[in-house]
Amino acid sequence: MSEPAAVAAVVAVTAATAVIGARGVRVSRTPADFLVAAREVPPMLNASAISGEYLSAASFLGVAGLAMQDGLGALWYAVGYAAGYLVLLATVAAPLRRFGAYTIPDFAEGRLDSPLLRRAATVLVVAICGFYLLPQLKGAGITLQLALGSPYWVGVAVLGVVVTGNVVSGGMKGITLVQAFQYWLKLTAIALPALVLLIGVHHASLASASRPAPLTFTTATRVDFPQAEAIDVAAPIRVRVEGRVDGVAHHGELSLGAGSHSVAAGASVEFPAGAAAPHLRGLTPLGGLQWSSPFVHLPGQGQHLLAATLGVLVATFLGAIGLPHILVRFYTNTDGAAARRTTLMVLALLSCFYLFPAIFALLGRLEAPGLYTSGQTDSVVLALPRLAAVGGLGSLLGAIVAAGAFAAFLSTSSGLMISVSGALAHDLLRGGVRTFRICAVTVGLATTLAGLAVAGFPINVLVGWAFAIAASSFCPLLVLGIWWSRLTWLGALVGLGLGGGLSSAAIVATMLGVGHSGWPAVLLGEPAIWAVPLAFTAMVAVSLGSRRRLPADVIGKLLALHLPEAVRLPYQPGVYPAAAPAALAPQQWPGRVGSFTFRFRRRPERHPRPPPTNR
Amino acid sequence: MCCDRRGQVSTEDDAPRREVVYARRAARRIARSTPAAGDLYARDEYGRALLRALTRAQLATTLAVLGPTAVLLAAYPLLATLIPGLATARIGGVPLALMVLGGGIYPPLVALGLWYVRRAERVERRFTDLLERR
Repeated sequence: MSEPAAVAAVVAVTAATAVIGARGVRVSRTPADFLVAAREVPPMLNASAISGEYLSAASFLGVAGLAMQDGLGALWYAVGYAAGYLVLLATVAAPLRRFGAYTIPDFAEGRLDSPLLRRAATVLVVAICGFYLLPQLKGAGITLQLALGSPYWVGVAVLGVVVTGNVVSGGMKGITLVQAFQYWLKLTAIALPALVLLIGVHHASLASASRPAPLTFTTATRVDFPQAEAIDVAAPIRVRVEGRVDGVAHHGELSLGAGSHSVAAGASVEFPAGAAAPHLRGLTPLGGLQWSSPFVHLPGQGQHLLAATLGVLVATFLGAIGLPHILVRFYTNTDGAAARRTTLMVLALLSCFYLFPAIFALLGRLEAPGLYTSGQTDSVVLALPRLAAVGGLGSLLGAIVAAGAFAAFLSTSSGLMISVSGALAHDLLRGGVRTFRICAVTVGLATTLAGLAVAGFPINVLVGWAFAIAASSFCPLLVLGIWWSRLTWLGALVGLGLGGGLSSAAIVATMLGVGHSGWPAVLLGEPAIWAVPLAFTAMVAVSLGSRRRLPADVIGKLLALHLPEAVRLPYQPGVYPAAAPAALAPQQWPGRVGSFTFRFRRRPERHPRPPPTNR
Repeated sequence: MCCDRRGQVSTEDDAPRREVVYARRAARRIARSTPAAGDLYARDEYGRALLRALTRAQLATTLAVLGPTAVLLAAYPLLATLIPGLATARIGGVPLALMVLGGGIYPPLVALGLWYVRRAERVERRFTDLLERR
């Protein structure tokens, strides 16, 4: 199976990115590199660029695929991905820009004066970016699988090579315009096919998606099996087979009896109209009512739905703060106030985008039950146009979504690769551009190899795990570092270690197959629900117990974080004027602002000679 | 807000250097208004009180927007657990979950964000006014 239009679209997107990459600025992590900040990128452009970098394989393919497979509750991922920007807006956007830290390791060292903490944060940056890169590679694998009919590893290798080459040659760095364009490309590439398929193409009544009846093929449908699968057939059906079924090669009609059958990789099976769609063995498809309930269903289990849903919400809601490749982009804002407006626009742009994956999930359940049969629900966005619309329209729409999907993988993985190589080269190895390139090649190789191993995990679940680690490590560090004056480096270090370490361990355990059902499955598969409170508690408790380890000049650092631009000096540690204390009686201080009503009294007159204080 | 070591100056060469790159417009604005900030940068009780006033007002704004957001997000799964009918409700054949998660929840989120930005900017404006009202 090969789709020439889709191939052309993917090649065009890749070539355009490679050309821009080759002509891009050289990578150098010096302050001059960040002179882009002086360009006064307007908030709307910057917001488009951040959204362009943020919308990854998870948003473009994963949300729709998981919602089709595990029910509408999977849309909570999308809600959390967007709502995370509200948290980012209200807690870190303006203070981080004002502080002048553009990576989390920078913030950790600048705020808490601890090079050790910087290294710990760097390790976590690598872990989070690594987890986030895997689903991008999986997305590329299945995209090329559908477009070219190539094996899964080809797409993974192509994306790995293109992104590594691009990062090594210095592209995609600070190219705000390109990332901004990527957002609008992705929005068009998902919105246009979704609306055409919803309005313009005949499909079954939307209400039947939540009917309890088993899913049936509305027309005679050919189902391709890119990977070997075992399927369960409920009632005997006559099908046309090309390839090996139950170990025997077939070319023509075959009667599949009720029970389990194994289908070899590369086989295709044509089901007649009206036949009930078989499903993967052990993965009973959800009935209509379960499918349309607003709970996250972890794969293969129907218990503790509320806990699983809240786990996903906590991870995605609090995780967006700690995504290294996104925070770097905030540095191109003019100032703290512009950072706020940018974040608000990102929230609006993401909200627009996330209206469309739900349409694909719904239409996929109605029109493409074959994806349940072949276990390829993750590719519903890519496959649906070809399945639902006939002829040229299907090919055209298919090419558009393939281009959008590849844009998603390219922009996000480039941003991630730069972040992780930069963190390794700059923060851990303290090397220059040469080290950066060596790190990029190493990281590219390692993640490409790891990407081959994750074909069986839903894209969205993998990304959810990256968010869970970020939420239980960097979220407490940033929130407490910005809003709490008594945080010490020791407290932050213990919190990072407990939250990040234990949530990573839980996720690795889930990937290895520990905890199949009940509470172990929920607590290990959605670690944010316990790891976030744990990390916050540890940071606060240890900080209160280690007051002697407070960093120097906490006040100066808080001033740097919070003062509005109109009244601030640029932050330089240790060079503030140490003015003589002009002590005022407490009753002469300006009005207390503990409550939400904001009232100041007039500024009190100074004492002519302040009495000496002995503190 | 404690223990700032009374504005000790550390000028060792190995102290981490931090350069903040400002846009020209922002730099001009800062240059114009720095005299007003003297009170803040003095490490006295009055300066601390000012800073505390600002951070508390901003933190109150943050909590005032994140509290309702958390309620907004958690309300539907919680209610659907208590009232199972809500989980499977349909409006005109379309599942309620699709209407809420596929679109309905986003406008309130954006509205909360807009409200936060306005509120935070107002807090900063009043703070600036206070410092410049000499």
